[in-house]
Amino acid sequence: MSEYDISEIEKLADGKLPWTRVQEIMRLPKDPDRFFKWLRILQSRVPWPDRILLPLTTALFIVQKEDGRRLVKCRCGYEFDDYRINWKLHALVYVRETEEQMREVYRGREMPDPTWVQVREYYCPGCATQLEVEAVPRGCPPDFEFLPDIDTFYAQWLGQPLAGQPYEFEDRTQQLIDQWAREDLGS
Amino acid sequence: MVVGRATLKEQAAQYDKLLQETGCLFGLTELKRKKEDPGTYEAVWHMLLNAVNTGWAVGCKVSSSPIAVEGGDAVWCLHVPTGEVVCSSRGITAHPGLLSMLIRRMIDHEYEVDPGINPGDIFENNDSHFGGIHGPDFQTVVPIFYNGELVAWAAAVSHVMDAGFVMPGSIGFLNPDVFTDGISFAMEKVGEEDSYYPWYEKRIRTRTRIPEWVLGDARGRLAGCLTIRQKFLELVEKYGIDYIRDVLKEYVEDGRRFCLSRVRTQMIPGVMRKSNFKDLAMKGKRVILPHQNIDVLFNLPMRLEITGDGKVRFSLKGASGWVPFGENLTPEALRSAAMNAFSHMVGFEMFNWGIMASWELEEPPPGSWCNPYPQNYFAATGVGWAPAVMWLSSMYEVFGRLFYSRGYVEEVAAGAATTMTAEFSGFNQYGLYTAGLTLEQASNGGPARAIADGETSAWCIYTPNADFGNAEVTELYYPIVYLGRNIEPDSGGYGKYRGGLGHTAVWMVKNTPGIEYQCGCAGLRSKIVGNHGMFGAYPSWPDRGSYAIDTNVRELIEQKKPLVHERGDPEEPDLAKNIKARILETNAIAPFVTPEIMHEYDIILHPISGAQAIGDPLERDPELVRNDLNNGWTREWVARDIYGVVATYDADAKEWVVDLEATERQRQAIRERRRARGIPFRQWWKQEREKVQRREGMADAVKTMWATACDLSPDYGRDLKAFWKLPEDFSFQG
Repeated sequence: MSEYDISEIEKLADGKLPWTRVQEIMRLPKDPDRFFKWLRILQSRVPWPDRILLPLTTALFIVQKEDGRRLVKCRCGYEFDDYRINWKLHALVYVRETEEQMREVYRGREMPDPTWVQVREYYCPGCATQLEVEAVPRGCPPDFEFLPDIDTFYAQWLGQPLAGQPYEFEDRTQQLIDQWAREDLGS
Repeated sequence: MVVGRATLKEQAAQYDKLLQETGCLFGLTELKRKKEDPGTYEAVWHMLLNAVNTGWAVGCKVSSSPIAVEGGDAVWCLHVPTGEVVCSSRGITAHPGLLSMLIRRMIDHEYEVDPGINPGDIFENNDSHFGGIHGPDFQTVVPIFYNGELVAWAAAVSHVMDAGFVMPGSIGFLNPDVFTDGISFAMEKVGEEDSYYPWYEKRIRTRTRIPEWVLGDARGRLAGCLTIRQKFLELVEKYGIDYIRDVLKEYVEDGRRFCLSRVRTQMIPGVMRKSNFKDLAMKGKRVILPHQNIDVLFNLPMRLEITGDGKVRFSLKGASGWVPFGENLTPEALRSAAMNAFSHMVGFEMFNWGIMASWELEEPPPGSWCNPYPQNYFAATGVGWAPAVMWLSSMYEVFGRLFYSRGYVEEVAAGAATTMTAEFSGFNQYGLYTAGLTLEQASNGGPARAIADGETSAWCIYTPNADFGNAEVTELYYPIVYLGRNIEPDSGGYGKYRGGLGHTAVWMVKNTPGIEYQCGCAGLRSKIVGNHGMFGAYPSWPDRGSYAIDTNVRELIEQKKPLVHERGDPEEPDLAKNIKARILETNAIAPFVTPEIMHEYDIILHPISGAQAIGDPLERDPELVRNDLNNGWTREWVARDIYGVVATYDADAKEWVVDLEATERQRQAIRERRRARGIPFRQWWKQEREKVQRREGMADAVKTMWATACDLSPDYGRDLKAFWKLPEDFSFQG
């Protein structure tokens, strides 16, 4: 098994290792302690104390609050909601669906047909980072890209169960939609 | 014919039972030969790899068509007697799984009894109903006997240049049904004593347009298989049949174990979802039958579940309906294609059936594009690859996300973009009729990584053997001259790391009385963008073709005036600026066949896509943007408006200079614009659901796609309607 100094992993993640070394790391058996070193690197780079349980994207993390709640949090500190609800439901969204809107990114022959596809940009309400971009036809619900089974991961795969009551592995996005429907649509 | 005391069919059934009982292929709970002598085990593995790769080298050299000879787009494999592939050559590695399933199907159909399986026999298939992907991919299978006992199979696939479709060539997206899907070999014995039957040649000569190439490729496949047989039997002589028989099975089980271990050590249990779509806009264009005068959008959804015990399950619930074009695919073909992408992303030590056995694919919705036969047994599969490769692009992205979460950032890859092909048919510079594919599409830009840009013109989603061939050699095959083969700026999306860039081929027709150009679909998007983007990147743009017919190029050459060597500005393209022509199209929605025969000095611009990008473009290192500006790989307006990098060109130094302070201000201004225009999702959801309910601004193709997706997967439809709070009886088609 391989093992790397944390500073080398940091350079790797920042794209600062020579390509020949990256290829070497790709070829060698994986280092089993990478995940925990990865968490240490990420934790050292955020300005808040909540424990990172899992990075979701370059900007978003699933964190555990002091009171045990697990939620999605942006590196800027903005907190979304329970990680079992698609975080996009708490993001700002901008949808390109006209030629004028498309043209800011796609000009002339590079422009898609807005009656076939929307370009949805999801921004962090805290720092305005563009978190994800979806290109989908109208009617497509937002992708819930990843719902991890965190308790199983920590307990059974890493052998380090998380303290506190396990979270039920369940997609709760629709529950929030149902709540909005009751509050906004009266249905 | 018996193997030991059991027939192949009985043996296969026994292996299935053992897999059920033990969870291990062939019931191999232990890898005894490996344990006893790992050195020999490893050495023999490499000798077998050498045998199949020698088969590839010999087979490609013996073949005739440029796709095999120049591109190496073929594959040779070794299988155990019950079909499971043990090892594969380089080349088109999406096929070994299908070859395994073909052999198993022959066994299930009792070929041992009728027509019999004997030394020297040659079997062939290209029919999707019996394990093929699409007509031009000819599968050849040769049994290997030792002392009268069937001990293995050698098998091969090559892509012939004309499959006898209703239209010339091998990218049969226009085929309306199976009756136009070309020449069929349906799991047939096509030769014995190492020679093809005389009727085999006759059938190819009467049913394909370029029989010399198709027959040459058949000889190539056979030559490669016979090479493997010879080398394999040498190994049997050296190590003994008992040893070889044992290790063949152990290698396959070893492959399965390796994949499983990678999942546990590098993935995370949970559920991943990625939507994906593909258009095929044919309304108003040349088609074969009137009912094809329609636009189509495919739904290609991916759901990946990794369970706590490390099982991997893929689902295509929500896939839209079969289409009246050659873009349907069987579940078997999809599984085999997925073996390729899965092995790329999850990895492999021994590329074989073990990879296929390490995950499951839920049966796709019956009647969908990826399981058409339950509703339409005559659905065409002329280029079944087309939607498949785009679905496979999601596999890169979902595993890329898992690698990122787990910290293995060096393994992250975003998805692919598109695969647009170019085919010519007509009389070439030698006065011979030709029909065939160029290799341009076999060299896209590669996906962005989490730590670097993707590689330019060095990757292809359907083959690890990315190679677009030499321009000079392509000119020998077809009556064209390259006026350009240039990297296409900004073709890899916009992100912190961009996808590798694609290129654009610019051809001038030369030395022919006339040819047709088919801008084909082997997985393109022309109405919609090329992919999603990942972690906040913008998707790459749609594929569009350009051409000019009846031009003034001859005069321009004589007058030594500028021609056209690249696409240029998307709103003021070089073709329109420099060339005059009776028919001039700079923004053609692909795929299409040109409206008229093309003649000397006519022009074609054929772009090949880059791939998917990663990350918010505002986080791209300004130095990378500067480098791209200096190379001509990005444009000033993109640098300024999308990357937020303010740069000016220093004409004296002949390079771009970045103003870092102005860049920071520009990036802050873009962030402010995002804040101003972004609205809370809840507010948007409330507005959008009303538009969905009114079907507002939705092309017919979009409505049809959602309607068939909801019909074929009722629970998917229920969830989709629940999200928008649509009535249960709501129909997207009104």
